[in-house]
Amino acid sequence: MTAAVPAAPARRPRARRVPLALPGRLLRLELRRTIMPWILPLIVALFWLDGYHYAMSFPPFWGLRSPVLPDRAMVDFALFGAGASAWMGSRDGRSRTTDLLAITAVPRWGRQLVTWTATTGWAMAAYLGCVAVLYWSTARQGAWGGPPLWPVAVGAAGVAAGCALGFAAGAFFPSRFTAPLATLAVFILATAVKGGSGSTYGLISPVAPQGSFRPDSGLFFHYLPDLSIDQVLLLAGLAVAALGALGVPAASGGRWLRRSAAAVAAAGLVAAGTAIGLAGTARLEPYGVVIPALHDAASARPIPYTPVCGHAAIPVCLHPAYRAYLPAVTAALGPLLSEVTGLPGAPVRVVQVAYLNPTEFATGGAPTVAGRPALLRLPLGFAVLAQQTQTEFLLSRAAPVIVSSVIGGGPGAGPAQQAAEAGLLRAAGVQLAQLASMGSVYQPPAPGSPVYAAATRFAALPAAARHAWLLAHLAALRAGHITLEQLP
Amino acid sequence: MTAASARRPPAGAGATAPGRASLTRMRPARLAHLHLASRRVPAALAVLAACGIVLRIALYWHWISGTGDSAQGLPVMIEGATAAVIAVTTASPFGEPERATGRWLPYLRLATALALSLAAVGALAAGAAAAGLDDGTLAILRNAAGLDGIGLLSAAVVGGGLAWAGPLAYAAVAEFALVQGWTTPWMWPARPPHDLGAVLCAGLAFTAGMAVITVRGARDAAHE
Repeated sequence: MTAAVPAAPARRPRARRVPLALPGRLLRLELRRTIMPWILPLIVALFWLDGYHYAMSFPPFWGLRSPVLPDRAMVDFALFGAGASAWMGSRDGRSRTTDLLAITAVPRWGRQLVTWTATTGWAMAAYLGCVAVLYWSTARQGAWGGPPLWPVAVGAAGVAAGCALGFAAGAFFPSRFTAPLATLAVFILATAVKGGSGSTYGLISPVAPQGSFRPDSGLFFHYLPDLSIDQVLLLAGLAVAALGALGVPAASGGRWLRRSAAAVAAAGLVAAGTAIGLAGTARLEPYGVVIPALHDAASARPIPYTPVCGHAAIPVCLHPAYRAYLPAVTAALGPLLSEVTGLPGAPVRVVQVAYLNPTEFATGGAPTVAGRPALLRLPLGFAVLAQQTQTEFLLSRAAPVIVSSVIGGGPGAGPAQQAAEAGLLRAAGVQLAQLASMGSVYQPPAPGSPVYAAATRFAALPAAARHAWLLAHLAALRAGHITLEQLP
Repeated sequence: MTAASARRPPAGAGATAPGRASLTRMRPARLAHLHLASRRVPAALAVLAACGIVLRIALYWHWISGTGDSAQGLPVMIEGATAAVIAVTTASPFGEPERATGRWLPYLRLATALALSLAAVGALAAGAAAAGLDDGTLAILRNAAGLDGIGLLSAAVVGGGLAWAGPLAYAAVAEFALVQGWTTPWMWPARPPHDLGAVLCAGLAFTAGMAVITVRGARDAAHE
């Protein structure tokens, strides 16, 4: 008989993982079980068809292509993200497992947050992938400067908000109809706010037509991020409020958890309300939207650059981002500039200035001749945005201004000045009859009138003779001392 | 509806011969009632009516801006939502057992889908009545019918639960087609209401959807 060996004291079994690992495992499960991967090909196809093609229809400027992200891309992802999230949010209710799952270790709110994270994670990954493809394509085409990241952030916040709102709708109203209705609701929200942008409050909609971007944003002046920050605040606030609201019902967890959830929801609502209030203080400035509380004065500083210039007698100098357009602009303006080279009042150089606002077609965004020596200040964005032939469009905007600066035309001009002006334009190949249709305010002489006949006569002169006559008689012509009959 | 309620004997069951005759007369109505309840058709009708009201509100409050193609965006999306609602009603809570035993199931599916499609068109037409929707009731009828067909086809392919994605995705593409001015008749919402090709394509989609959902029903997803 041997003495019994005392058994080693049983070691207390250690938990294999800290409880924090549980959400990680749950997340892995939900990433596999969510329906979002099945919906993603559809969303990506929509983005390719809609957002990507729309963006790529513009020339490679960040200021023209980036606004697609908070507008079309975000709507594509948020629409179906909301639907898929509503489907996932209503899963327990539809399958009647709410009570069964109430006895699991993780509180209901925690489980719901994990499910939402998995669903939104897929959508966000796909969204960022689409952004990467769009930005990579734009960079490959030689876009000047760096890609703006705030539009990406607005789009991402919109995707998260759409998914959160859809998920909350599904959790609170678990029905087979919730998913399509959540999709429709997100679409209506986007459309209704887009349509009702009469005040500055309407600017807060990421799909508002008058957003933070200008065609030359990030080229002459920095892109102003004020409105984007405000939009992110609104969308993130809505997402946080929706997710917080999930934890408020009695079945979501313990008392402190529910109180925390209520506090989170309240914080989200306060953030969203603050964002809406800030939008009311917004000002439309030439270089973007300024919200005083969010504005950084440093962002209004001009961006230094070295212009690229042509080699004509009157050189055309453009921003390096527009380098590819230099030959076209030089060729478009060349015939007219050669007509006025050396004449008093004629520009000695063409310099590109920022195209500030699309509405400036009617309010002064046109080229101007100013300074000593005179410079033709030419905003070029309109020509890039225009779907018409650039040569004709550039001439229609710039030619009357150039000729007027030499001849002294305008409302008070005499008949000889009008005739010389029209003759010069015609000699440079400008189609006078088409100027009005291209938005020019220039009024050509009526066909058959004496002014028209004199203009035709003047345009028919050899270029050298016309130039010599102008050199000799320009002062008298500008002073109104030349009659129609004296015009050669 | 629960399985217990489905098994519950109707009033008069187990009675004498005249009672059984009465039961025979009752059966079609009860069967239809149970089928409609299992597909949440009353709730679907309420949602369709709500879609009509939303269209009315959108027209009244001028959410629909512009004229022509740009004014068709929101109406097309609402039509897509009604088609999505009809598509999700095809999901059966019983699955294979019902398929195996339901002799009248194809007729019930056809009648339900037809009735809901008519209700959708009626709700949308009522919502747009006297409110000046650009393309009028004819376009609503064509668009809604075609979208219903796509929804029913989606239900047959991916299951009733997820079938909402089909018509809404088509509506989202149609938004793009409206803006870009596509001329293919397969994008019927982007075509004028009297375009014969668009009418034929929408009609074909509707007929195909009805036929497939009648014969095969919605695909039962294993995980739902």
